[in-house]
Amino acid sequence: MKRCKYFLPAALIALLAASYAGQAFQESGNDATYHQKVKPKAPPPGPPAEPVNYPKSALARIDILPASIALVGPRYSQRLVVEGTFADGHQEDLTAQAQITSSDGNIAAVDKDDFVQPRADGHTTIAATVEDQRASASLDVKDYSKIKPLSFRNDVLPVMTKMGCNSGPCHGAAAGKNGFKLTLRGYDPETDYFTLTHQALARRTERMEPAKSLILLKPTLTIPHGGGRRFLLNSPEYKVISGWIAQGMPAPEETDAQVTAIQALPHEASLRPGAKQQLVVTALFSDGRREDVTRWAKYDSGDEGVATVDNQGDVTMHNFGEAPVTVWYQSHVAFSRLRIPFPYQLEETVFKNAPRHNYIDTAILKHLEALHIPPSPTSSDSEFIRRAYLDAAGILPKPTEVEAFLKDTSPDKRNRLIDQLMKRPEFVDYWAYKWSDLLLVSSNRLSDEEMWSYYNWIRDSVAQNKPWDEFVREIVTATGNTVENGAANYWVIHRDPLDTSENMAQAFLGITITCAHCHNHPLAKWTQKDYYGMANLFARVRLKTFSPSGARAGIGPLFNNVTVYSAPTGEFTDDRYMTVLPPKPLDAKALPETTPGDTRIYFAKWLAAADNPFFARSLVNRLWRNFMGRGLIEPVDDLRATNPATNDELPDELVRDFTSHHFDINHMIRTIMQSATYQASSEPLKENAPDDKYGSHYLIKRLPAEVLLDAYSQVTHEPEKFDGYPAGTRALQLPDTAVKSYFLNAFGRPARQQTRESERTSVPTITQALHIINGDTLNNKVRAPDNSIDAMIKRGLSDEQIVNDLYLASFSRYPNETERAALVKILHTAEQQKTSGVDDMRRNALNDMLWAMLTSEAFMFNH
Amino acid sequence: MLPRASCPFVGGRLMLRLDANRSVTFCDGLTRRDFLHAGSLGFLGLTLPEFLAVKASGAVDPKKDVNCIQLMLVGGPSQLDTWDMKPDAPASIRGPYKPIKTNVPGIEISEIFPRMAKHADKFALLRSVYHTAAAVHDTGCQMMQTGRLFQGGLESPNYGSVLRFEKGARGDMPPNVLIPYMIGQLGGNLPHGDTAGFLGKAYDPFVLNADPSETNFKVPDMLPPDYISAVRVDRRRDWRQMIDQSVKYFEESNQDAKLMDSTFDQAYTLMTSAKAREAFDLTQENEEMRKRYGLNRFGQGCLLARRLVERGVRFVTINMFETVFNDITWDIHGSAPFSPISCYSELVGPMFDNAYSSLLEDLSRIGLLDNTLVLATGEFGRTPRVNPAGGRDHWPQCWTVVMAGGGVKGGQVVGSSDSIGGAPKDRPVMPSHVAATVYKCLGIPIDKELKTPQGRVVRLVDHGFDPIDELLV
Repeated sequence: MKRCKYFLPAALIALLAASYAGQAFQESGNDATYHQKVKPKAPPPGPPAEPVNYPKSALARIDILPASIALVGPRYSQRLVVEGTFADGHQEDLTAQAQITSSDGNIAAVDKDDFVQPRADGHTTIAATVEDQRASASLDVKDYSKIKPLSFRNDVLPVMTKMGCNSGPCHGAAAGKNGFKLTLRGYDPETDYFTLTHQALARRTERMEPAKSLILLKPTLTIPHGGGRRFLLNSPEYKVISGWIAQGMPAPEETDAQVTAIQALPHEASLRPGAKQQLVVTALFSDGRREDVTRWAKYDSGDEGVATVDNQGDVTMHNFGEAPVTVWYQSHVAFSRLRIPFPYQLEETVFKNAPRHNYIDTAILKHLEALHIPPSPTSSDSEFIRRAYLDAAGILPKPTEVEAFLKDTSPDKRNRLIDQLMKRPEFVDYWAYKWSDLLLVSSNRLSDEEMWSYYNWIRDSVAQNKPWDEFVREIVTATGNTVENGAANYWVIHRDPLDTSENMAQAFLGITITCAHCHNHPLAKWTQKDYYGMANLFARVRLKTFSPSGARAGIGPLFNNVTVYSAPTGEFTDDRYMTVLPPKPLDAKALPETTPGDTRIYFAKWLAAADNPFFARSLVNRLWRNFMGRGLIEPVDDLRATNPATNDELPDELVRDFTSHHFDINHMIRTIMQSATYQASSEPLKENAPDDKYGSHYLIKRLPAEVLLDAYSQVTHEPEKFDGYPAGTRALQLPDTAVKSYFLNAFGRPARQQTRESERTSVPTITQALHIINGDTLNNKVRAPDNSIDAMIKRGLSDEQIVNDLYLASFSRYPNETERAALVKILHTAEQQKTSGVDDMRRNALNDMLWAMLTSEAFMFNH
Repeated sequence: MLPRASCPFVGGRLMLRLDANRSVTFCDGLTRRDFLHAGSLGFLGLTLPEFLAVKASGAVDPKKDVNCIQLMLVGGPSQLDTWDMKPDAPASIRGPYKPIKTNVPGIEISEIFPRMAKHADKFALLRSVYHTAAAVHDTGCQMMQTGRLFQGGLESPNYGSVLRFEKGARGDMPPNVLIPYMIGQLGGNLPHGDTAGFLGKAYDPFVLNADPSETNFKVPDMLPPDYISAVRVDRRRDWRQMIDQSVKYFEESNQDAKLMDSTFDQAYTLMTSAKAREAFDLTQENEEMRKRYGLNRFGQGCLLARRLVERGVRFVTINMFETVFNDITWDIHGSAPFSPISCYSELVGPMFDNAYSSLLEDLSRIGLLDNTLVLATGEFGRTPRVNPAGGRDHWPQCWTVVMAGGGVKGGQVVGSSDSIGGAPKDRPVMPSHVAATVYKCLGIPIDKELKTPQGRVVRLVDHGFDPIDELLV
């Protein structure tokens, strides 16, 4: 929580309190506004505990950022940064040490703050020197004598946004403040222009005497202002606004140039603890113009332990690691990835010789190398087979399968194992279950018949490896009887256009647009108009239903025999937004308002397209998470522009691979599993132990609830009986998460009420521990007559053989000598120990040992 | 099963005794009572001799510490319909409810709380709370449970987790408990601030995960089945540890693994504590008492909280609801899937009124109110202007927090709002001020510095936010 940046004299405080409800100026992080004299909100972390002795490294090159400068008109200047790269690969901001000169002082000059100021039209170069290194940048000045009026859209609004005038806590709030309402972060210049020039008896902007404008008097605290002082008299901010007013307040026009992209330099850098790095931000406009907007951009650090950034884009580096610094300007976002590589002494060949099986490893290793984090060695065969079976099919390998794999000496055995796994029916079960999570298949929303229809359609799609775009398109455009067409059940679950809209975005694009229901999204660029425009795509879906077959509290009746169809016309409005908006998928092109026909078809085309920036990305991120334990972007349902991936290149490469293989999911599964990154050991090295996101080692993860329950059944040979399902049905074969199971609920099975990845949890809890220590589920399997222990006893196996077999079944490996000896020893002792009245002491001892194995972390975690 | 009067230490480790119910003296002079305490030393991180020494020195005297019960009024109660009535405002603002007098002259609250009105001398109304973050439920949950918005990758711990971190457990009881379930879907996917955040999952609350209003409510699986004797429980526990020798690196590198171990330890602790089992046993309260609180999840949750605090739990969070979707809650937007304004008089108001009043009455009667801070708040207030659907939307610009006990001076109003309840008029305070006040009551210095796993130092309460001293005695 940032506080007011200014110390207000006591008298002024009293005045404020009296006249403006004493609203002290406070703001939240995402709407934080900055001003020059910012006080840090919390003391930034100090340098790392042990200062590093970096060996001396010579300066290898310098670069001027940006490398080419174009100044249009007399008003704009360009901030320069001189970035040095040293022989050992690290960077430093050397602007302060550099000699920067303009080759032609008549065209442009470099001032004492290292800003380039234009003087006359022409072309020249800027040269920088540091020690014995030189760099140059090209410079063009044009239209020097053309004084263009200040633009409301591109000059005034950005200043107001930077100063926080239109932020969420202030005048950008849904109800504005004190009668003055601006659009949130300036997303609607036309409305804001009207507000500033026509409302409030036009006192906000005084054309004849700009200095008397309320829009200048208040934020400079010349007169009381609930928001405090935002900028000083005659500051650059003041001059932009007063200049624009003096010019007659030209309105924003349709023909104004608009920002098409922004660029933050340096794009990435490897720095040292305590280093400072100034960023330079350039906006590119639709008319080809470029402008230095460093001063007006907003900055945020993704990890303040690593780097903090002030409101002028000056970054201070603290601890080892990487911080993506988010840069925001006029609704565009860019990142600068700044890092302090870890200071470990590593062999030169660590990265060179690390295995690279495919492009995944190349991208991961490149980044690890930049961070100076070495990868762990590859996993053992035992670790690999257990992990692969669990991640791809949700089952454990049988002891015979383990033994065969361990014995196999062929060099490509891992790849062949992957291929075999993908052919198993359990593979289909696992992925059908996963997509059923996403699509909310459950008896809470569907009748049994429909639920099975939906589930079977999903399962068939997985079995055929139906391309993801086809799969989604079939859902989005589904019509017909819900028992005959399983995909149509989506429309029974989502009957409200708003709910459908939100679900489509979350499930298939990985983005959350809920906030935009009531106002423009505070964290992303989606406006309320986008939200309602999208909802209007689903306004024509109708359900023809017959008699209800039951009801669920809070949800409504369940129907049998539903037919989904699209009415030829129909628009969506509701109490909150009563204007009909043309149907429009988020920020894509809208359909004309009264387009007849099934508007879902248009949406499906936009959604399941190779060039949709979220569609493929969202899916490959979910796949990645399944295997690696963590998405490249987290959370997986929050792929907004301001949420950077942990690796810049890899998501794009995965998307390219996915789309060029026609959305083939199995191909991606295979590619991920074949990578050396996936196959790395989970045991960290001292130097990569702190890494939990860059892929240096496999991240251990607790087995999901259903997988764990099935694993218990598998090792004990004692299946779980689910109400209403035939004996032997595995948890992963259930079409319904509403099936009664205390175990599954306790261990984090999702309710399938909302398409949120976090509905499923694997955090250990005391409830879970109590249940496997004292509860029925595991204990009944362990002690059941005719379970696997019983069978081994009946076969006459010795304690040693039993320990051996149980290790193969539970951990996919043989026990080592120490383990075998220790366990056999305690078994022998325990078998002599009378523990209660009735007794099979041997059976009790073996049961206890099996229990200990099944509740160990070695069992309960995938590693 | 007969208790054995033998040395409780078997092979160097304390043997679990689940069955001893006669007074027994062990060979080295320890009583059974001490022994039961000893089973729980994991919470305190003490060995038996240390524990006895500390006990002798009086440092763990429960009467010196202040407890807290935090009632999360999920959904966000409307200030204008509950504790900050504006009967003189136009009809489009004042809403359908009328104010009633309380037992403190000058203080009026909504007619939906007739019982609470009889206890105004016990609680204080803080009517000028506001925040400036996004007006979504998640941010309010974060701020009202931790004092802070989660930014820059930092997840702050909630009050109960900090209290646990600072003071540990009292005897066998879990130090912080959450009743009945974690908050679920509120429309966003941000964290809710109901855990120990960067302090580490080992300080997370014990989540009940059961509905205390159900007929056969009990904490599931508190005791081993009768076919597993104490000896076997013990050896299972030992053998499990042994098997995990091969994967020691799990706990060093993974929070969940470390936590799993801790949850097992805590499970064993709960199992050996007759006191803990008894605390969670609502059948020990008679029908009358249970009806007084209300035979619903929230009412029985408050009753359970009272029992827990009586028996040594330091911090109880009660989530009045788990979701605002398709449920009747304080979130009265006026149209589906949210709640209508009428639900305040029909369901939510009476639910709160009965449970809260009973809680204050009981704590006061038992003499625990001075030692127990009761904090009731939602995530934000609601729009002064009734919306087209007849409801009210989110309004973090002004709302009321209700505080009682633990050093709070009852029978007063602190702060006030403007004529429509839309903005604080006087004494505006933010969630961080409330946090500072809570910590002051709990006896934890607000400038205390906590350390994150990345080595970052974080002040308990942000600089510049002081406790609201007018609230305190």
